[in-house]
Amino acid sequence: MLRTLPMRHVTVYVLASEAADTALVLAAHGQFAPAADGEVPWGGNPAESYRQVWLQATSRLQRILQWCGLEDGGRQQTDSPARPQRSGPSPLEEARVAAAPTLAELEALHAWLGEVWQACSRCHDEHLRLEAEQKRLVELEQTYARLTHLDLDVTRLLRADALLKVRLGQVPSAHLKRLQEALALAGHVLIPFDQAQEMSFALVAGPRPAAAGVDDLLTQAGWRELPVPQELQTHPAAARAHLEQEKTRIEALAGACRQSQAEHAARYGARLQEAAWRLELARPLAEAAALGVHGSRQITVFTGWVPRRAQNALVAALEARLHGRYRVIAREPHADELDRVPSLLAHPRWLRPFTPLVRNYGLPCYGEFDPTLLFAFSYVLLFGAMFGDVGHGAAIFLLAAGLRGRLAWLRTVGMACGAASIAFGFVYGSVFGHEDLLPALWRSPMHDPQQLLTLAMVAGAGFIAATHLLHAYNRLNQGQVAAALFEGAGLAGLVFYASVLDGLHALYLGQGFGPYHAAGACLALGAITVHRARTHRATAVERILVALIETSEAVIRSFANTLSFLRVAAFSLNHVALSFAVFALAGGLGGVGREFTLILGHALIVVLEGGIVAIQCMRLMYYEGFARFYNGGGVEFRPLRLGGRETSLTVGVV
Amino acid sequence: MLGDAYLDTRVSLFAQGLWSDDELTALVHRSPAEVSQALNARGLTELAAGYSIHSSLEARIIARLLQESRILVRPLQGEERQFLLYWIRRFEVSNVKTLIRARLSGECQAELAPKLIDMGPFARLDLTALTQTEDVRSLMRALEAGPYAEIVRHARRAFEDSQDPFILDATLDRAYLEGLVRHARAVEGGPGAALHDLMSRLIDRINLVWLLRYRFNYDLPPPRVYYLLVGAHYQLGADLLRRLVTLPDLAAVLAALPTVYARLLAGADDVFAVTCRLENAAAVHARRVLRSDAPPLARAFAYLLLRERGLRGLRAVLRGHHLGLPEDLIGRALGHLH
Repeated sequence: MLRTLPMRHVTVYVLASEAADTALVLAAHGQFAPAADGEVPWGGNPAESYRQVWLQATSRLQRILQWCGLEDGGRQQTDSPARPQRSGPSPLEEARVAAAPTLAELEALHAWLGEVWQACSRCHDEHLRLEAEQKRLVELEQTYARLTHLDLDVTRLLRADALLKVRLGQVPSAHLKRLQEALALAGHVLIPFDQAQEMSFALVAGPRPAAAGVDDLLTQAGWRELPVPQELQTHPAAARAHLEQEKTRIEALAGACRQSQAEHAARYGARLQEAAWRLELARPLAEAAALGVHGSRQITVFTGWVPRRAQNALVAALEARLHGRYRVIAREPHADELDRVPSLLAHPRWLRPFTPLVRNYGLPCYGEFDPTLLFAFSYVLLFGAMFGDVGHGAAIFLLAAGLRGRLAWLRTVGMACGAASIAFGFVYGSVFGHEDLLPALWRSPMHDPQQLLTLAMVAGAGFIAATHLLHAYNRLNQGQVAAALFEGAGLAGLVFYASVLDGLHALYLGQGFGPYHAAGACLALGAITVHRARTHRATAVERILVALIETSEAVIRSFANTLSFLRVAAFSLNHVALSFAVFALAGGLGGVGREFTLILGHALIVVLEGGIVAIQCMRLMYYEGFARFYNGGGVEFRPLRLGGRETSLTVGVV
Repeated sequence: MLGDAYLDTRVSLFAQGLWSDDELTALVHRSPAEVSQALNARGLTELAAGYSIHSSLEARIIARLLQESRILVRPLQGEERQFLLYWIRRFEVSNVKTLIRARLSGECQAELAPKLIDMGPFARLDLTALTQTEDVRSLMRALEAGPYAEIVRHARRAFEDSQDPFILDATLDRAYLEGLVRHARAVEGGPGAALHDLMSRLIDRINLVWLLRYRFNYDLPPPRVYYLLVGAHYQLGADLLRRLVTLPDLAAVLAALPTVYARLLAGADDVFAVTCRLENAAAVHARRVLRSDAPPLARAFAYLLLRERGLRGLRAVLRGHHLGLPEDLIGRALGHLH
């Protein structure tokens, strides 16, 4: 629970002909995360062409399903691969015994999908063309309406003339000015007369002999001729009739296109679902090929990571399918590959709601201290201390218990915070801000703020000291002994921090900052600076500068982080002050107004102050805690799974 | 305020790692092992491996530039940040062009993947989805639905009508650079004349070189050349460019330039010479800005320009050694850069 699960590096040798089926077994097992391995004797990736074909076929299938309106037809749920509708065993069971397609079968499937796409794409292109034509028709109608308002005879304007060449068209508005200037160089004029969205309608006129020279320029500017058919160059009524006719024609074509779409869905639907199922069966090898498949013509090698406790089950699954035609070699991770080992966390059910809050900051590296338990404990404790009130805590508890839907994951965290608030409410003797209803187990924050502030500081110092130890622990786990000893956040930092704090305490008691304190602080500071200068790879000046800046930053940060814990006391005082304010406001009113103010005031305290305290606790954990010891740069454990590789961060404790 | 101080310090520290022209020239005469040693000593370990590792040299250079840019962008806010981010995104625009070219030539995904630049945290394109598009039309449509819609939209229209890859490339480049000018204009008021001057030298150079190339190498008519140039408000403004594109030869164009450029380019007899002189002058100016007390954004921009130039110089040396080219040929390649 305090570290990532131990992993084993596994190499599985199988016959190349059984590679796809093996990948299927590994995916059904669900605990094998493929990873590249430089130690495998064969550098080639025999499954790369399989992967390429699979990627193209999958992409093609998605396009076809989308076009046919069958996007959901291929898949019911994430962990249940698409399969033809049939009764019998579950998808997982079925996948365990099903044969994954070979490369030749996959290529045949890809080719068939190509044919289907060819059939669909004709209709698809037609559909897009009609959409564009419809849009243009609407614009044409608007333009024609505007042209009729111009005091120009369009028929005469467009008549072929030996001297002048006139064009009507549209061009992106953004290009208008530049095109105007460029055309002027060729002796042409451009006159915009209308605008629709980002396109401008314009007239371009110039000497006919020079007209051919501007064709390329107009093309480059995205100029589109505005066809003014003969019919539109007649009487306005005839033009209107032509536009109506065009609209009917396009609608008829669009209807035919929709019908064709439905026919495609009906004709290919069942086979497409079968294809989706076959591609799901091929997915494990295709996905593994991206990382951990090597081999020769006869042998395929899968390399990856398996949780130590799942290794035997993996071997058993391979045995059940391959009956001895495989070889598994497992080993512990090497020291030089620890940064590549994926992290898998094992949390009990009650702790899992806190995982996303820790994950929000980062994932523990392999072997790194998993701060989820520390986070859960500290977060709830801090919340209770900052918002201690039996009544408000109970309200938070009940509100959290009612969370459903998207916020359901916050239920446990909210209930835990509510419970902590109730517990501290008893400690402070506070119920909805009343301090005379319950005897305090300790005392109300307002009765001795100085003592509360001192306690908060001491708790903060303890927390910061713990982060130094955790930082050193993490570095030792990574084999970085010098970093554990001499980094500002490590043991040297702890010596400095403890020396200065103890010295300041002695000073406060009137005993003075002793020589031992000064010696401890100076030695530790020197060690930190020298270590930083030695480890930073840069020019000498930059090293010194970086070492000095970072050392002073580490020193300042330790004390700033400690002072940050004063907010724990400040918020507990704030809670009392807010309650007083509500009582004072309500006391000034009578009858219903008083009751209303009390209810609204307490609701505001629960929602607003509760929210702020929740954020402050998070801030304390992230910036005063995690930033000091937690790397959070771990590699996600992403095992092969039926239905696609998904992130696996936590598993239940078995 | 604190961010400015940080950025200034960071730029000054980074500037110590820049390669001077003399240092680069000296590398030409050293053995590959000595070059590698020199690169290691300057912290460029990823380049020191030269061509001996799988990852392309260009990719490693860009990765280094992105890594340093990331540090420089961090303290910036608002429009200044947007400007620098947009400058970095030109690598992603080159991914757009690579994707389009691959679709036009029918390259498969496996061939295409290594050519794409890994933008890391700056990535805004879903390259996996884009590489799986069926043809250039569907690719362009997918791009139009993404963050580069503004740049791609007009290029698609022009390409659909002409089917000319040159138009596609030219339109994409121009659209990107006009976006850069817009972003720069928003911050030129802030960092003062230094950034304006850097941008001016960059955009004027691009416009002049494109003008000469399109006009006299590709023999395009003046209106088309003018249309392909970047619309900007720097020394080579619209009126002057309109006049320049109508002139009959290179000498006439150079003679009609503003004094500062006319003096610099006097005697240049081809587009290559013009390019070299303009680039060298821009580098000299960037170094001046870097050494000055110009606002941090201008200094950061100057640093990035010089850093890229320096790394490309190193690439020329490494490639020259790798191909076994004679030293004078590598020196000439460097001369283009310096």
